[in-house]
Amino acid sequence: MLNRERLSQFTQLMAERHWDLLLFYGHTWRKDFFRCVLNVNFSGPYALAALDCSGELRSFVSDPWDAEAITECAASVDFLAGLQQLAARRGTVAIAGMEMMEAQFVQAFSNPVSATFDVEEIRRVKTPREMELMRHAADLADRGYQYFAGVIEVGMTEYELVAEVEGFLKTHGAEDNFMLIASGGTEVTGMKPPTSRRFCEGDSVTTELTPQVNGYWAQICRTLVLGEPNAKQREAFSLFSEAQKAAEDFLKPGVNIADVARVQNDVFRKYGYGEYTGPKYTRVRGHGLGLHCDENPYVLEDVNYTVKERMTLIAHPNTYLPLSGYMVFGDSLVVTAGGCERLNRTERKLFQK
Amino acid sequence: MKRGWITWDQSELPRAAFEARLKTARQLLAERDLPALVVYTDVWRSNRVRHFSNFMPYWNRALLVIARDNPPLLLCGLSPRVYPWIRSVTILEEILPSPNLPQRILQLCTERGWTRLGALDFDRFPYDLRTPLSSFAIEDVSLPDAVDEWEISLHRQAARMAREGLAEEMTQGIGLSDHEFTGRLERRFRLAGAEDLIILLTNGRTPPAPARGDKLGEFFSVALALEYRGHWVKMARNAVGQVSDLPVTAYTETLSGSYPYESGRGPIFAARWETAHNGLRLFHGDTYLRANKGTELL
Repeated sequence: MLNRERLSQFTQLMAERHWDLLLFYGHTWRKDFFRCVLNVNFSGPYALAALDCSGELRSFVSDPWDAEAITECAASVDFLAGLQQLAARRGTVAIAGMEMMEAQFVQAFSNPVSATFDVEEIRRVKTPREMELMRHAADLADRGYQYFAGVIEVGMTEYELVAEVEGFLKTHGAEDNFMLIASGGTEVTGMKPPTSRRFCEGDSVTTELTPQVNGYWAQICRTLVLGEPNAKQREAFSLFSEAQKAAEDFLKPGVNIADVARVQNDVFRKYGYGEYTGPKYTRVRGHGLGLHCDENPYVLEDVNYTVKERMTLIAHPNTYLPLSGYMVFGDSLVVTAGGCERLNRTERKLFQK
Repeated sequence: MKRGWITWDQSELPRAAFEARLKTARQLLAERDLPALVVYTDVWRSNRVRHFSNFMPYWNRALLVIARDNPPLLLCGLSPRVYPWIRSVTILEEILPSPNLPQRILQLCTERGWTRLGALDFDRFPYDLRTPLSSFAIEDVSLPDAVDEWEISLHRQAARMAREGLAEEMTQGIGLSDHEFTGRLERRFRLAGAEDLIILLTNGRTPPAPARGDKLGEFFSVALALEYRGHWVKMARNAVGQVSDLPVTAYTETLSGSYPYESGRGPIFAARWETAHNGLRLFHGDTYLRANKGTELL
């Protein structure tokens, strides 16, 4: 539960930055800053972990059940009183997650500084234990997609499919899941939550499946055609496959993340589809993974960031193409000393059923 | 994220409900001589914007702008590619792409000639949104945490779904792993149209917590939070079937406020309590309506 390796890194960071107190804030949507030091899946609306220069950690939660779940450091259930208590202390207070904190909570402190960037930078390079959890999550993503491809039927609604997959993932240990879906033909321009649309023969069905295991998220993106894929769907998939492979072949420590985006986009440009790599048709060419399912750095041509060994991310050239409508393809990756390793084992093909 | 079925069924929630709610907000704006009210929403804090527009972000965040003289509009962090879907499940017509929300709201003020604005629970905005807006004349506005007949009806429907589902499923839980039981409930309630679920379980040695691989015994308890059409309920049940009436000492959470799950007793609130049984802890809880005539079990 207590991430001791991180605790030591954060204490060192505090010494370097001359911070007297480092706070890790989490709320129901974004628990990742809290969980990077104290990996408890709290159920109340918010929680805070407070680290002082001596390395002592305390926590402040908002639900009595959460206080009982925290056993490796002191836990107080009066969140607001805890905040006041911390604010009364002398010295520089830094907050990881300050930007997403309610303004009234931040205003309790005089001149707090944001620790978000520094803490995110430390989090990007995974510890051995974190890598183990990422691998579990990727394995579950593979099994989840296998289930998805097995259970989908013509006539089923999108939300029924998601319910089936969700049931499978939770049965096999997921604590949460980020999942978007779309179905149809060339009219489909993006993914969204499931609707009551019923799957039809010939539909292209896209999904991003992202189970969370013990706090850590891994993602898989695949496209499935109900029936025999047509020539244009096959042609589109070959572009996505080539673009994703280009990212994998290029990714290694020291490269600029902007170029990981560029090599993917260059494949679309080569075939005359360059306009479909911009924000009108797509969001990102990938993103970091870890305790949040959509971490920085985003894989975009205008984001400059030097890739490091043991970073985990997904490269996915997901976009709309007039050939096929919106299509997705991507795997979770870990950056190794000489390149990268794929965490997913699912077949790299255009699925059909 | 919300990955259940988000929809707008006008037989459950007619357009007139939103018109009445917007009228209330506009009356408040008129009283304060404000041209518009800004309401924050994100994947979790979606009650308030859902109340006025039926918009519930499945991800990301947004600002709803309720102007005195124009239909409400949405400043949205999501891609324009999903705006047709947003329009299909909300009353919203005008949606403006807003990767930088504070910048976009300030631009809107310039375009419309607004020199002041109201913002609902402004001090509870995320710090990165609140700070760039500090220099603008924004009045922190509070609205009472009140629910109307349509919301009560949907909370009631959510409670019925949760109660009946748990009544059928509790007998199936003993002997399953907590993961398996969680999976059963997820499948069942999502097939029935739930948008979001949080399921906590215990064998009675600790409070309910997310599944951790334990086999459920004869004294297990489950705590379920279920969102249906944007309306949350919470319930806890134990395999023994031990039930209590609402005791004074129960822990209570407001479900209808701007931020669900905060401790307190709003008009819609959940209460939970525990009893000892053979040295183990049994949990029970329900969702209630606090009305003038007293407290009613939903």
